Amino acid sequence: MRVIVADDSVLFREGLARILAEVGFEVVGQASDAPSLVELARREAPDVVVTDLRMPPGFADEGIEAATAIRSIAPQVGLMLLSQYVEVHHALRLMNDFDGGVGYLLKDRVSDLGAFAVDVRRVAAGEVVIDPELVTRLVGRRREQDPLAMLSDREREVLGLMAQGLTNTGLAEELFVSPKTVEGYVRNIFMKLDLPPADRDHRRVLAVLRFLRQQ
Amino acid sequence: MLADENARDDAPSAAREAAVAVIALVVAGLVGSGWSLGFHLDNAHNGLLGLSFTAVGLYVVRMRPRHREGVLFVAVGILHAVMFFGRQYGSHDVPLPGAEWIGWIGVWPLPLGIALAAWTLMSFPDGRLLSPRWRLVVGAMLTVAFGLSLVSALWPVDYDRTALVAPHPLDLPGAGRAQTLWDGARVFFLLFQVVWTAAILVRMHRTRGDEARQLRWLVYAVVVEITLLAGGLAVVGSPVPGLLALPLVPVAAGIAIFKYRLYDIDPVINKTIVIGAMVLVITAGYVAVVLGVGALVPAGRGLLWLITTAVVAVLSEPLRRRAQRVADRLVYGHRTTPYEALAQLTAGLNGAPEELLAGIATTVANAVGAREVVVWVGDEERLVPATAWPAAVDDPARTLHDLYRPQWQLRPVAHHGTVLGALALRKPSGESLTVAEDRLLSDLVAQTALVIVQQRHAEQLQAAARRIVTAEDAARRRIERDLHDGAQQRLLTLGLELGVLAERATADPALATQVRDARSHLLDATAELRDLARGLHPMVLTEQGLGAALEALADRSPVPVKLSVMLEDRLPREIEATTYFLVSEALTNAARHADARLVTVCVTKVDAGLRVKVADDGRGGATRSVGGGIQGMTDRLAALGAWLQLESPVGGGTRILTVLPCG
Repeated sequence: MRVIVADDSVLFREGLARILAEVGFEVVGQASDAPSLVELARREAPDVVVTDLRMPPGFADEGIEAATAIRSIAPQVGLMLLSQYVEVHHALRLMNDFDGGVGYLLKDRVSDLGAFAVDVRRVAAGEVVIDPELVTRLVGRRREQDPLAMLSDREREVLGLMAQGLTNTGLAEELFVSPKTVEGYVRNIFMKLDLPPADRDHRRVLAVLRFLRQQ
Repeated sequence: MLADENARDDAPSAAREAAVAVIALVVAGLVGSGWSLGFHLDNAHNGLLGLSFTAVGLYVVRMRPRHREGVLFVAVGILHAVMFFGRQYGSHDVPLPGAEWIGWIGVWPLPLGIALAAWTLMSFPDGRLLSPRWRLVVGAMLTVAFGLSLVSALWPVDYDRTALVAPHPLDLPGAGRAQTLWDGARVFFLLFQVVWTAAILVRMHRTRGDEARQLRWLVYAVVVEITLLAGGLAVVGSPVPGLLALPLVPVAAGIAIFKYRLYDIDPVINKTIVIGAMVLVITAGYVAVVLGVGALVPAGRGLLWLITTAVVAVLSEPLRRRAQRVADRLVYGHRTTPYEALAQLTAGLNGAPEELLAGIATTVANAVGAREVVVWVGDEERLVPATAWPAAVDDPARTLHDLYRPQWQLRPVAHHGTVLGALALRKPSGESLTVAEDRLLSDLVAQTALVIVQQRHAEQLQAAARRIVTAEDAARRRIERDLHDGAQQRLLTLGLELGVLAERATADPALATQVRDARSHLLDATAELRDLARGLHPMVLTEQGLGAALEALADRSPVPVKLSVMLEDRLPREIEATTYFLVSEALTNAARHADARLVTVCVTKVDAGLRVKVADDGRGGATRSVGGGIQGMTDRLAALGAWLQLESPVGGGTRILTVLPCG
């Protein structure tokens, strides 16, 4: 699987490229800022891009800008955005702007090589990956009138995993249950929380994140 | 402005100049030839009115062709001149040729003349009536006057009064009934007077500023005229003084139209009241002494006069002073005594610094009866108006030297020999400062110096505090950036290395566990460091602004937060940072100390700045303890010119509110 790595810190970028190579990726290029990342992606046609969200020249959200540009050139490229902080508004923006195939993780996650490689491959396959810390933060919020109280413990667990971007298949594997059982959980959750039905996985993540954010 | 007021509307056209000249010649001819036919006391006023109204009206028309009042004046003048000539002609001892018809012209227009004059007075000073409703009144008045004139033209109903030698030219039947009707209808003449008086009173009540000043000229002239007429009739038993003074009204009206700014009426009224009161009281005194003492003591006439004169001489000065005080109060309103002025000022010193100078301006105005007071602030080379009474002025910066202007009293305000400002005031023209006012002014100038010095210190302090806050924010941002690019980055790379190690150590389970433990410690450390950096200055605030940063804060808050942020644009950095830290502090307190179930955060842009309100439903009782978070926020806000309002009754929740000025 062809991958491009982008980060303005040479140390981290080189390290990232090395471990990705170690777990079987073909690193076809490295970039230190947003414009060169876009250029590299145009030239190398990678399967997935792993990039820092905050990069030169502005050190703001250049990673997202670059991802948008890359998507317009190559709609099939998976986009994994890494950041030292994960913010809900960024996650919402990514779910809203991109039609799946997007990940948003804390940079810390790369230290668990195996899990990180799985996440990158999921993104390349068109799935959505949202950092568990962000989801925990949202699910764990205390609310004035908590609609999550209507959910069973298991349903709450499923809700959290859905927010992290897991598909029904992924949920079934994670929970060691049949896909049919998973469908039942999901249907119940959507009914109890009065969520709009979502036909696509990333739409489902967006609906759940939005729901968790309000109140 | 003054030049503007007196400027001609445009260059006079030849046709207008010719018309003005013809009218002037005709009226002068009518009145002149009328005089040459003899003197008739009961007709003299018509000649005077004709001349004076025409003269003033023509002057107005010539200078301001579009001024309607001028046209009305000319009409009144011509009508009276014609009437004057007609009656002079018809009253000639030796009957002149055509005297019946020419004399007739001098009689019947009288009702129209009165109505026209009333209309003119009602339209003063701009020639327009106060409202459309008054147009109806004037229409009705003119209709009635026209009817009366018609009756007077057909039958000799008004001939007795005018004492014409020549008889009425017509001899129609029904003279008796016409006379009855006329005698009854005379009440309308009185009604006309009531109507214009009412119109002027209403206008005086409604208008302010220049127009009010113009009206005062007219009213003054009318009052003097009525006083002379009544006084003449009562004292001398003759209307002559009143009639001779009639031109006063049009002349005063003309002055009002052109020169009301040059010649202030108030001092004239003031002096009239003083002199009038003196004359009245002295006359009464003479009468009382001569009659009273003369009746009691059989003294010689010469001695009596001597006593009276002595008494009057002794009493006149205190009398004048009292009359002056009454007149001042009537004309200029209440003036404070020096004690009151200083008391007012001291009370005002408790106010906000920026209001102090305004308080001084008001105090000065009240104390010396100034028309206008301006407090200038700056240095000798450049002074700008800081505050003014009664209304703010928008004058450009001036040097102290340039501030010495005619009609203005100027007092430089200095502290330790350095000029800090100047106090400029303008009294009603013709009035100068009394010794007491002068002394009071000096005291107030000294106070002004102290206020300016205090204000400057306050401004310097405020600026310094603001710089400290800004510098602190900048330092926080810099440290966050350094951590992000430095230590945090290195630790992350270290995490990567450990990850690789963990993969490679799978063959040795003990080593693998050790590596995983090390990685887990490292992740704890990076998480702590992340929170620390975030607390210093959240990246999201710099990147996405206050709205997103507050939402992120709410995402992390352990207490449920209801957030309402109404912002369109980014705000200055220090405002955003301060608001963020304020809300953050309030949320922390609500969770940690107040045991709140819900916090409401409301951030809105208002005219005065950014309004921030945070309210929780916790146990309340929060105080500004020294070194506490709330006191810290109060200080930070104060540096930005804002005041933190804290309301936290025990058991009643905590509310904080502030408005941050966003210059």
